[in-house]
Amino acid sequence: MIMLPTVVRNLFGGPATRMYPVTTREPFARARGHVEFNEDLCNQCGTCARRCPAIAIDLDKDKKEWILHPDRCIICEVCAEVCPKDAITIAPQWRAPFYKREAIIYHSKAVKEKGEKTGE
Amino acid sequence: MIDKLKEISKDQLLAEVKKYADAKARFVTGSANDLGDKLEITYFFNASPGMDLSALRFSVGKDEEVPSMTGIYLTAVLIENEMKELFGLKVKDLAIDFGGHMMLAQDSPVLPMLKTEEQLAAGKKGGN
Amino acid sequence: MAPRTITPFGPQHPVLPEPIQLKLELEDERVVGVVPAIGYGHRGIEKACELNEYPKNIYLCERICGICSAIHGMTYCDVVEKLWPLEIPPRASYLRTIWAEMARTHSHLLWLGLLADAFGFESMFMQYWRIREKVLDILEITTGHRVTQSVSIVGGVRRDIDDDQKKHCIEVLKDVRKEAEALNNVLVNDYTVKARTVGKGVLSYDQAIALGLCGPHLRASGVKEDCRTQGYWAYGDLSYEPIVATGGDSFSRAAVRVGELYQAIDLQLEAFGKLPEGELAAKPKGNPPANEAVSRVEQPRGEVFYYAKGNGTRNLERLRVRTPTYANIPSLLVMLPGCELADVPIIVLSIDPCISCTER
Repeated sequence: MIMLPTVVRNLFGGPATRMYPVTTREPFARARGHVEFNEDLCNQCGTCARRCPAIAIDLDKDKKEWILHPDRCIICEVCAEVCPKDAITIAPQWRAPFYKREAIIYHSKAVKEKGEKTGE
Repeated sequence: MIDKLKEISKDQLLAEVKKYADAKARFVTGSANDLGDKLEITYFFNASPGMDLSALRFSVGKDEEVPSMTGIYLTAVLIENEMKELFGLKVKDLAIDFGGHMMLAQDSPVLPMLKTEEQLAAGKKGGN
Repeated sequence: MAPRTITPFGPQHPVLPEPIQLKLELEDERVVGVVPAIGYGHRGIEKACELNEYPKNIYLCERICGICSAIHGMTYCDVVEKLWPLEIPPRASYLRTIWAEMARTHSHLLWLGLLADAFGFESMFMQYWRIREKVLDILEITTGHRVTQSVSIVGGVRRDIDDDQKKHCIEVLKDVRKEAEALNNVLVNDYTVKARTVGKGVLSYDQAIALGLCGPHLRASGVKEDCRTQGYWAYGDLSYEPIVATGGDSFSRAAVRVGELYQAIDLQLEAFGKLPEGELAAKPKGNPPANEAVSRVEQPRGEVFYYAKGNGTRNLERLRVRTPTYANIPSLLVMLPGCELADVPIIVLSIDPCISCTER
């Protein structure tokens, strides 16, 4: 009987759930969704790969490749924080589920200037 | 630095634990650490009610037997079984003995918490 | 004498989706003995923390438990900070307090829902979880993720709460309080709820201390003990008094958690009001020195205990984590014998078990 007011309110209120995936909620502005990489800014300093707690970032210095393993990434935002060139950002949208463990390969285009310090 | 840490030998253990039990202290937990040739065991107690932590510490050789305190504090049964499995501490007279299968399965690594050679070397080099 | 049977309870979804098996020895419907079997979720996190560099361990420690994830990360940072020792800025300590209390709010709402579910009150379960979703939303707005918040770093916090977010949080929290009051009224006063919880799994004051319980489970037996009275982070500045019940049964444990739910919301509102300006993080100097430290922090489920030993390198020599459920499981050995089989789920749930976090 004490539950009655709640029951009545629910009877006339709308559903509390969403018909996902038909309707989706806008992600919150600062939510950690997925890693985005700007090829033009990266100069292969390697700080992100050293600091990543999940070993999700690899570098191939010869081919100038920046390799992200999204299946290992825990989206902790450490790489975006430590990047001295701001080449890595975190976007609020979630990555869709995937079926295969595939690495995403980017090509770094910025060149290291002479005498420039590379991270730590 | 742990305040109120008391170094004892393993023979004094049960007598010291009994003192805590008589004073109605609460058993918090235990911790083991691999020192290379020895195991260092620390038990933590809290004087209830309140937030007053004190500790007992002793070290034993890896093949020495240690008396179980489960006769005094039943709640120590989990931590003693865990130390037995993960560190190879030889605890005798356990109230409930999981027989080495509390945390680990049949094909798990043996004594996984013991330190590797590299870890021990790094610890000696870095520590002062 | 009736014949005895051994009935396995779990490990697949016994009341809650956590892997614990209780081997119940039954005499007709009455439990006469119990052996808990854990170990289905051991991940070796303590060992991994020795092999990892210390700043990376934060994210690993946060994954010890999903519900108290934020507090695990903060406690790890706290214990490593004590190795130097390193002072954190006042704004960081207030923000940690706010997020810790937010985690407590959603954890207690989750538990109250599960309790309703355990005795078959499905609609109340849904209602509690509907409210909980609002708390998770403000957690996501302020920290960036609803479950693994990852807000703490050694030396402070990573994110700030700006004024707009603060205003929004205060509004939502007041709303949550109002809605929770209506539901808690049902939980505390309804006779069907009382029939299922009052007098089930009774532990006296002395038993509670001898078994080394912690958290709401301990306070429900009348022991006035709470890690927050140590005054870590901002708790020293806030008006805070542990909530105690004296019944020692499942109903008292629910009552303590209902009280703590309101208290957590009040603490957040107070902390938001007193939030000081300033830096977010202090920078640690070099590696953690060769030292030992202990940190005890009150999680929603009870006291979490971190012991760390540094050795001057970037790795810790030893990290020991004792989660609250680790201390509370042995109490099942005392509470269950003598009860009816139908009461086992409620008694097991009343300790708010989190088995995977127990095994690390």
